Amino acid sequence: MKLSEIDGLTFFKGFMIHIVAGLFVSCGTSNVVIQGSFPTPAINPIPLSVAVYYDDNLRNFSYMEYSETGREEINIESGSSHVQLFDAVLPAMFERVITVNSMEDPEIEEVDAVFAPAIEEFQLALPAKTKLEVYEVWIQYNMRLIDSEGDSLADWVMTSYGKTPRETFLSVEDGINGAAVVALRDLASSFALNFARIPEVRDWLGSL
Amino acid sequence: MKTVEEKSKAIQKAALVFAIGLSSCATTTIDEFRQGQTGIEADETIVILGRREGSSFETDSDFVECVGERMGQGDNSISVVPEREFIDAMFPWFEPRNAPLRASDLERFMIEDIVARKMDEFRIRYMVWLEGETETDRSGSLSCAVGPGGGGCFGLAIQEDDTNFDATIWDLESLRNVGQINAAATGTSYMPAFVIPVPLPARVEANACNRLAVQLKDFVNGS
Repeated sequence: MKLSEIDGLTFFKGFMIHIVAGLFVSCGTSNVVIQGSFPTPAINPIPLSVAVYYDDNLRNFSYMEYSETGREEINIESGSSHVQLFDAVLPAMFERVITVNSMEDPEIEEVDAVFAPAIEEFQLALPAKTKLEVYEVWIQYNMRLIDSEGDSLADWVMTSYGKTPRETFLSVEDGINGAAVVALRDLASSFALNFARIPEVRDWLGSL
Repeated sequence: MKTVEEKSKAIQKAALVFAIGLSSCATTTIDEFRQGQTGIEADETIVILGRREGSSFETDSDFVECVGERMGQGDNSISVVPEREFIDAMFPWFEPRNAPLRASDLERFMIEDIVARKMDEFRIRYMVWLEGETETDRSGSLSCAVGPGGGGCFGLAIQEDDTNFDATIWDLESLRNVGQINAAATGTSYMPAFVIPVPLPARVEANACNRLAVQLKDFVNGS
């Protein structure tokens, strides 16, 4: 779409957004399943084999946004997108990556470490509530690295942030999805480039 | 006595005359500051990226795309690598959290063999960073109503746009900042409504895009 056409549409958007927002308020709970594409990182892999364990809390993670009156407003499901993200990033970070379904899986005996990410907190800011012109998502993670015998090697907290301007999209769902995908990419970029700098991880890599 | 149809046509003509009288316009100012010599070979490319660090920065990706498209058209056109294609290929190095903030940071990036290899594959000679936004003020009054007999709008909506974008040009051969170009544009859009709203956009961002692209093209070509 050319910018000259967008200039004309922008003029209508101010009214369209209010109409759509009004319809949205009058509807029931909306469901958003986060969907996005995550590129393979352009990084040199660490010569390690790692098993990744996605627990049920992460696989089925969802966040409910409530209205000011306490009514359920938007349900955001991001579990599958998190799995998709880590499946894209981890094979580029390590020489060999396998997925296990439990911490008792015998394949864990054959790897150098087990990576078990967990989502601790999810926060959402909507333009209708903040009066800003952006959708914002913050996510806090607990990253855990465990050896094959179940002992902790490293345990650290990471946060990610994503935003997307309101005027780019017409629907609230698209805005939330856009901000969440940016937050997930932010996590991937921070995790991929800073993994070896985490003090406990650095010490562990140095001991190998 | 005029028929309903004749009255409707008269109203439409009056609306058209009013619309022409309220013709929207935009003014654009370009400032250039050159810090080094430039020039580009036929097989070299540039990439234009928008600044998006932190919660206060969000350069419109449509504007970035517009400038890139305009630079690839006309005389002395320049091959531009699309922003999204570049960022995805270089992931995660140019995500907002990791992107270089100064030309001097490029040296640290180019030490990474995988980054240097991909830059070479794209044949990128210049990296252009765009940052800025359009501030909008709306005024006027426009009312619309729908009833069993039909509907329509009446009134006048006014939108004033103030666009300001800065372009910083980095030379990847010397790893230096070689110049800045600023594009500032203002304009007023109108939307009179006599039953049907008639948008008259000032195309402020489009004008800024066109002028900035022309200036950037000349700058990169060494003019």
